[in-house]
Amino acid sequence: MTTTLGLDIGSRTIKLVVWESGAIVLTRKALTSYDPLAVCRELLHDAPTGPLVATGYGRHLVKEYLHCETISEIKAFAVGARAVFPSCRTILDIGGQDTKAISLTEDGRIDKFHMNDKCAAGTGRFLEIMATALGLSLGDFMAEAMSAEASHPINSMCTVFAESEVISTIARGIARPAIALGIHQAIAARAVSLLERVSITEDILFAGGVALNRCMQKEIENKLNRKVHAPADPQIVGALGCALIAEKNPKEEKKDGF
Amino acid sequence: MAFNVPDAKPLIEDEFVGEAAKRALQYIQTKRAAGMPVAGIYCGYAPMEVIRAVGAVPAILCAFANKTIAAAEAVLPANLCPLIKSSYGFIITDTCPFFGISDAVVAETTCDGKKKMFELISEYKPMFVMDLPQLPDEKEALANWAVMITKLQGFLEKTFEKSATPEGIEAEIKATNIKNRLMNRVFDCAARKPSLLKWSETYELVFLAQVATTEDLQATFQEVFKTLEEREAKGVHYGTASAPRVLVTGCPVGGDSTKVYKIIEEAGGVVVAMDSCTGMKPFMTEIEENTGDPIAAVAARYLQLPCSCMTPNTRRLDELDKTIARFQPDVVIEVVLHACHSYNIESYKIMNHAKNKHNLPYLKIETDYSDGDVEQIRTRVEALFDSL
Repeated sequence: MTTTLGLDIGSRTIKLVVWESGAIVLTRKALTSYDPLAVCRELLHDAPTGPLVATGYGRHLVKEYLHCETISEIKAFAVGARAVFPSCRTILDIGGQDTKAISLTEDGRIDKFHMNDKCAAGTGRFLEIMATALGLSLGDFMAEAMSAEASHPINSMCTVFAESEVISTIARGIARPAIALGIHQAIAARAVSLLERVSITEDILFAGGVALNRCMQKEIENKLNRKVHAPADPQIVGALGCALIAEKNPKEEKKDGF
Repeated sequence: MAFNVPDAKPLIEDEFVGEAAKRALQYIQTKRAAGMPVAGIYCGYAPMEVIRAVGAVPAILCAFANKTIAAAEAVLPANLCPLIKSSYGFIITDTCPFFGISDAVVAETTCDGKKKMFELISEYKPMFVMDLPQLPDEKEALANWAVMITKLQGFLEKTFEKSATPEGIEAEIKATNIKNRLMNRVFDCAARKPSLLKWSETYELVFLAQVATTEDLQATFQEVFKTLEEREAKGVHYGTASAPRVLVTGCPVGGDSTKVYKIIEEAGGVVVAMDSCTGMKPFMTEIEENTGDPIAAVAARYLQLPCSCMTPNTRRLDELDKTIARFQPDVVIEVVLHACHSYNIESYKIMNHAKNKHNLPYLKIETDYSDGDVEQIRTRVEALFDSL
């Protein structure tokens, strides 16, 4: 029996998956904070031990402290997505600061990938800031959008400009649910345009923290006119991919020089 | 990524190892002290043979540092190419030593941003803006460009109070051809599997070879080829045989944007081909000799440069075919500077060409001179190598 661990150190959330005998035996999540290494240690301290692979923006930070291998998020998501959804050919991951679209070959290898530019437009962080501008929690923000009878389009995709657009829209007396829906639709449009840069083949998996948002899933489906599958826990896909790669022993997979 | 021996001798072993700009500056200062006027240039379209035939030394002006951008943004829009902002910032803060010692500036109507920036700096030094034809295959293009080159010659002659002869230009054509052949021998060593050079060595040599005359480079070339032959004899090479070989194409990469080369190396790749104006491009074309009309020969050569400001820029795809055949890359990475619309739009063609014709993975990196996106670029490059 082997136990392997996967750690995904994202910009907003750190995710841990422990994999044992072909199943997930433990998942943990914590906010990344200003000290991601301490958060990683906290998540790991009484977890089962075994080979660990890390991904996410913090992967290089923890590499030397945790003596682990690191892989890119693209690879982690490609592997994790096939584990939770074996027929997956296209992955949309919207995380805290990144949006990624990845297309996979039939046998699960990475075919193409695209990521948003370095700005926060259309990411989870964008949603958080828009919710705050509307005076709502993330959950209420989604609920308001789903209750909307009409939507008010938001045109700016720069986080800073969109926030001021939202504030001026509120000042014009537009109903909050309509603004909330407009924001969801703007992000969905951006995600779909990213997906269109890779070839969209079904089935499509929606992962990352934003995949918890049912309104976003619905709007993306509407725009694509296709079904988009969000797994039960969309946040752990990357960490799961890491644990699976750790199981296959990444040291043997690595080419020399890497 | 490193040489397979710990003590590989640098390609150019002098006090300027790693400081290509300082080496070039010293060269130009020496020439200027000997009485030669200095012509500042910004672009690969500046006809070097005419500049040299007039008796001037060319100086490549500063354009690659983030530090001058904040000053530039007091005047220029923030959403402009960093190369243009940096160039302008260097001038208004008076921090480009090459501009400081330039007696005149040669400019070209390449992209809109540069064209309008040149207007803003035209007060500082005598400047000549060359009207570059942008439909290079039109039959008038060559004649028009030859007229511009003749006008530039007149401007330089008047400004420097010197003169050039057709024989002098012809001699410079021959010297350029000799230099380009030698440079291509160096590029061939970079093309070896595994490569005999590190990207920064090629970069440093390119920096010097653009400003120095073929004659002045002889000693350097002798040293360079001796070192490369020694490396070959001793089995010294850069990077491992299995490391992904990267062809980097697109906008000029220099100074602060060499972060992209560094990230590629840190991710385990080897940059074998630098297809840009700060890489191999200035040395890729032969100029026809003994035509009896050296200006027309020079004009024809420069019009062949496959810059994205040209339309259609089919030569870039043809050149890419040759570069891929020669360097055998595993991936193509395109560097596009923020707000460089022509390279950015053209990247779609390059992507399709790399993927469909050559079956090579392609990654576009849009970046500027700041280091704020280093980790994002790293994720993309690592993922690209993961997918091989």
